[in-house]
Amino acid sequence: MSESKHPNPDHNSHHGFFHQLDTSAVLTVIGILILFAASVFVILLAPRFVDPTWTTPTSSYQVQMYEISDPNFYISTESSGSNTLQAVYHIKKDFTLLAFHESDTVRLVAPEELQPYITKVGDQTLKLTSRLLLLRHPQKSEAFDAVAAAEKVNTQLQEAWEKENPKWKEEKKVKPGFAVFELFAADGPEAFAAAPIEGNVENWVDDNFKLLDEPKQPYHKDSGVIYINNPVEYRISRFVFNDQEGWRYDPNGERIKSLEEFKGNAIGFRSRAELIALGEHIYAIEGCWYCHTDQTRTLVQDVVLNGSDSYPAPPSSASEYIYQKITFPGTRRIGPDMSRVGIKRPSRDWHKGHFWSPTTASKGSIMPAFRHFFDDDPRGTSKNQVGIPNYRFEAIYQYLMTKGTRITPPTQAWWLGKDPIQTKEIIEGQRRLPK
Amino acid sequence: MVKYDDTPVKLMLYPAILFLVFGMSVGVYLAFNTFVFPDYFSGEYIHFGRVRPVHVGTVTLLWLLSANVALLYYLVPRLCGVPLWSVKMAYVSCALWWSSLILGVFSYPWGTNFGWEYAELPNWVSVIPTKYMTTIAWLLVAVNIFMTVIVRQYKKMYVSLWYAMGTMIWTTFTYITGSYAVNWVPEGISRVNVSFFYVHNLVGLIYTPMGLAIAYYFLPKLSNQPIYSHRLSMLGFWSIAFVYAWVGAHHIIHGPMSQWMQTTAIIFSVWLIIPVWAVVVNLSETLKPHWEKYSRSPPIRFIMMGNLFYLLTTLQGTTMALRNVNEITSKTDWIIGHAHISLYATFTFFAMAGIYQVIPVITKKSLWSARLAEWHFNLNLLGSVPFLLALWVGGFWQGMLWSTWATGTSYAEFHNSLTLLPFIETIADMRPFWILRGIGGVIILIANLIFVVNIFNTIVLKQERHEKQETPELAEAKVTS
Repeated sequence: MSESKHPNPDHNSHHGFFHQLDTSAVLTVIGILILFAASVFVILLAPRFVDPTWTTPTSSYQVQMYEISDPNFYISTESSGSNTLQAVYHIKKDFTLLAFHESDTVRLVAPEELQPYITKVGDQTLKLTSRLLLLRHPQKSEAFDAVAAAEKVNTQLQEAWEKENPKWKEEKKVKPGFAVFELFAADGPEAFAAAPIEGNVENWVDDNFKLLDEPKQPYHKDSGVIYINNPVEYRISRFVFNDQEGWRYDPNGERIKSLEEFKGNAIGFRSRAELIALGEHIYAIEGCWYCHTDQTRTLVQDVVLNGSDSYPAPPSSASEYIYQKITFPGTRRIGPDMSRVGIKRPSRDWHKGHFWSPTTASKGSIMPAFRHFFDDDPRGTSKNQVGIPNYRFEAIYQYLMTKGTRITPPTQAWWLGKDPIQTKEIIEGQRRLPK
Repeated sequence: MVKYDDTPVKLMLYPAILFLVFGMSVGVYLAFNTFVFPDYFSGEYIHFGRVRPVHVGTVTLLWLLSANVALLYYLVPRLCGVPLWSVKMAYVSCALWWSSLILGVFSYPWGTNFGWEYAELPNWVSVIPTKYMTTIAWLLVAVNIFMTVIVRQYKKMYVSLWYAMGTMIWTTFTYITGSYAVNWVPEGISRVNVSFFYVHNLVGLIYTPMGLAIAYYFLPKLSNQPIYSHRLSMLGFWSIAFVYAWVGAHHIIHGPMSQWMQTTAIIFSVWLIIPVWAVVVNLSETLKPHWEKYSRSPPIRFIMMGNLFYLLTTLQGTTMALRNVNEITSKTDWIIGHAHISLYATFTFFAMAGIYQVIPVITKKSLWSARLAEWHFNLNLLGSVPFLLALWVGGFWQGMLWSTWATGTSYAEFHNSLTLLPFIETIADMRPFWILRGIGGVIILIANLIFVVNIFNTIVLKQERHEKQETPELAEAKVTS
C-alpha cells in the first residue's frame, strides 16, 4: 500500500509496516481471505440451512429413544459376584407413559378407581397413562384387599380353563399358572420398575392407542410414542457378606428411595444415555474408527454387506448421526462397517466373546483383543470362558446397539422390509431413482 | 552482509529429524503387529487403535510440520534479506511447540484421543492445555514469519514467500476449524463436514504450500538454476488458493453427505490438476538444462522424485474423487497409500532435500558422508515403491472383491455373493500385500536411520575430526572454553 493511500500518514508506528508492504503482498492476503471466506461460507456454513436432513431427526422414534428412553433406562450389576446385569426404568410422574396390558397369562387386579387404566384382553385400543402407577405382587391394604382379589381372579381363570378342557387330567395337560399383579398408585414424583435387559428396541405404539390423561409433555402429542409395558416395581435387598456390603434384586425387598441413592456408589446404576456417551468416548480413544467405518454408503455392496438375510440395509442418512457428539464415518474399512451392527450383531454374549478374543470369535480377524473391557474373575469361581465384563464393555455395547436400530420405529423397521426409501427396489432395478 | 541467527532453525529441525525415525519405527511396529502378526503384542496401551494416532501424530506434527517450520525459519529471512523478526519469540514458540506436541501426541495411548481424524490432539492432558499451547506456538510462528516479510529488505517477493504467507493464513484458519470449530456446529454430519474440510486442507493448505515453498526455494539453490517461470508458480499459487478449500467432501462420496456437496467436491478435485501441473512443469523445466545434476546430487533427486510423486498423488487424488473410481478405492488400503505418497514420498522428500542444503549452512560444516546421502535416497526409493505399490494394488484388489457383492439382479443373489465371499475373507486376502508393505517400511526405516546417523555425525563428529589435526592440548582447551 502506498503512503498516499494511508488515511493518516503521520501515524508513525503503522507507517513503517505499510511502507514495506507492496501492493502485491497486500492483494495476496486480501485475495486469500476473500477466496477462503467464499468457500467457508458455501462449504461450512450454508449446508445445514440448505439440507434439512443435517439437523432433522429421522423419526420421532429416534427423538424419543435418545431424549426420553435413554436417560431413564438404567443398568447396573448385582454385587453378588456372578455378573447379573440389572435393568431398571426410572419412571417419572407426568412424564413416562405406561401401559397396563393384560394377556393370556398376565392378569391385573386394581381398586375401582384404577380399573380404567387396564387394557383388557381383546381391547383394540391400548390405554396409556402418565400417572405414576405401578404393578406389584398383590398386597393387603385397608382400602383394597389385593390378595383376595388376586386369589379370586386366579380361581376364576382356572375354573374357566377347566371348563374349556374338561378332560385335562386324562389328556395329561398341565394346569396353567396365571401371573396376577396388583395395580397401585405410587406416592411421590418418581419410581423404579424392572426392565428387560435383552433387546435394543423399546415398546412403541403408533396405531390404536389412547392417552387417558391430558398430554403433559410435548412428546405425548406425537403420532407414536414409546411406552413402558406392565412396569413391576423394582426392589432390592441388601446383605453383608463378611465385612462387604452388597445388594441384589428382590421383589419383596425394600424400595429405592431416590435417584441419588439409585446412582450412588452402593447400588451404582448408570443410565443408558450415560453409557452411550461413554461408549462414544471409548470408541474415540480406543481408535475403533481407524478400522471400522460407520456409514452404509449408497452402493449395492454396502447395503448388501450390512443387510439382513432377507432385506438390504438402507444407506445411512445425515439425520442418523445428529445425537452423536463425535461422528465416525471413517476412511478405512479393515473391520466390518458399524452403521447397522445393532441389527447384524445384537447379542451381548457374541460381543463378549468377540471383545475377549476377536481372532477366536471370527477366524481371520486382525482385531486386537480388548481384555481391558473385562475384570479378572474376583474369586476364581466363574465358569465363564471369558472374563467378567466391566462398565467399559457395557458402554461400548450400548453405543454399538444404537447403530441402525433407531432410524424408524420398530413397526416400520428396515429389517422387516419396511424401508422408507425402498432400498431393495432400487438395487434390484425395480424402481428408478427420482431425477 | 546480513547475519542470520539460525538457532531457531536448529531448535525446530534437530528434534524433528529424531521424531522422523521414531514415528517411522512406530509405523513399522504397527505394520507388523497389526497386519502381519495381528495382535502379537497385545494390551490396552499398545494395540493398533491406540498406537496408530501416535504414528500419525509423530510423523505429521513432530516431524513434517516441525521440519517445515524450521525450513521456513531458514528460507524466509534469506529471501527477505533480514534476520528473523524476533528470535526470542521463536524460542518461546519452540518451547511451547515441543512441550505441548510431545506431551499431546504421546498421551494418545492413555486415552486422550480427541476423536477426529488428524485432530487427535487433546485439549488438555491432565492440567496442561496442550492444544491451546500448540495453537499459541503456531500463532507465534505465523506472526514471526509475517513480520519478517513485512520488514524485509528485498522489495520483490519470491514465490516461496507467497507460499509461506499463504501457509500462515491457511494453516491458522484450517487448524482452528478442525480442532475447535468442529465443536461449534451442530452434532452429526455438520461436524463431519467441518472435519473433512480440515482433513483435506491439512494436506492441501498446510503441507502443500509449505512443501512447495521449500521445493521452489531449494531446487534453484541446489541446482544453481533460476526458477523456470515465476508467472507459472503464481498460477499454481492462486489455483491452490481457489481450489483446495472446496474438496473436503470428496472424503465421503457415496456417504451420508448431500449430493450437491459431493458433486462440488468432485469438480474442484478435478481442477486440482491445474496447480499440480503448474508445479510439476515448473520444477522439471528448472532442472531441464542440467539434468545431469540429477544423477550427481541426492537432494536434487529427492526434490525431483518428490515432484514425480506429487504428480502421481494428485492424478490419483483426482481420479479417486470420481464416483465410479471412488466406489472401488474408497475405504481400502488405497487411501492409506495415497496418504503416504503425499505426506511421505512428496513432502517428506522435499523437506529432506531442504535439510541437505540447510545443514551445511547452519553448522558451517560440510556433510559427513556423501555416500550415505546416496544410500539414503536409494533405499528410500527402493522402500517406497513396494510400500506404495502394495497399498495401491492391495487396496484396489480389496475394492474389487467388495464389488462382487453387487453382482446379481435380486437381493437373494447379492446376499449369496456375500455368503460366498464373507467380509473377513477380503481381509485375509490382503496378507501378502501387508507383508510387502511391512518390508518396504523396514527398508524406509533403515534409509532414514542412515540419514539420522549422517546428520548427527555432521553435527557432532565433524568437529572432532577437524580438531584431531590440532594438538590435543589445544583441542581440549577449545572444548572446555
